[in-house]
Amino acid sequence: MASVFITCRQAHALLSGHCDGALNWRQRLVLRLHLAGCDACGIVGRNLALLSRAVRRIDRHGSG
Amino acid sequence: MRLARLQLRNEAWAEDAVSETLLAAVEGLERFDGRSQVQTWAVGILKHKIIDQFRRSGREVALDAQEEIAEGDDLDALFQADGHRVSPPGAWGDPEASLARVEFFTVLQTCIDRLPAPLARAFLLREWMELETAEICKEMQVTATNCFVMLYRARMRLQECLQENWFAAGGTRHDG
Repeated sequence: MASVFITCRQAHALLSGHCDGALNWRQRLVLRLHLAGCDACGIVGRNLALLSRAVRRIDRHGSG
Repeated sequence: MRLARLQLRNEAWAEDAVSETLLAAVEGLERFDGRSQVQTWAVGILKHKIIDQFRRSGREVALDAQEEIAEGDDLDALFQADGHRVSPPGAWGDPEASLARVEFFTVLQTCIDRLPAPLARAFLLREWMELETAEICKEMQVTATNCFVMLYRARMRLQECLQENWFAAGGTRHDG
């Protein structure tokens, strides 16, 4: 069985997949385990959530 | 026009999509029920016209996407050889403060504009047009794996770009 421990690089890819609702239960589990011990990836997860919210509002701002 | 350009990344396609949107809006104006703002209604039409344009330009969109996938990512600078980050990312503080600033959206658009065209298309199809990834794969004629790779690359690059050009520059500390 593959390890449940992943690197930040792997966690970043899973965080992106999470934004797309694309993770299976095992991927969600290893991501949660990683996030429990990694502040940096927690920040990336919050930043990606903000990015998603921002883009959904992009048609309300700017001109041209 | 700005949104069409950002999404389609092709001036002629954007002009076609906007022209068709204006025509559809004029023809459909009497059916507009006023339950939403005119801008929201027009953006809804534009989104449909953008999808139509993607379908007309499918071959070119697919070729661009294949080239992007073949190039590989340029995210190595973020990570050590063992896969952990070289340095922690910057925390973005109070997100609402940034989302309330028009200037933030200008920086965001610039960052999207700097993405390679296939990444920008995939990202906006997902996050602005709110398509499911299966639909994005179909429109861009890529596999699900390649679709997720493009979305991942786009998000990482945008995060770095916003960090560098807004958050690290103190964008949230400025007033209106």
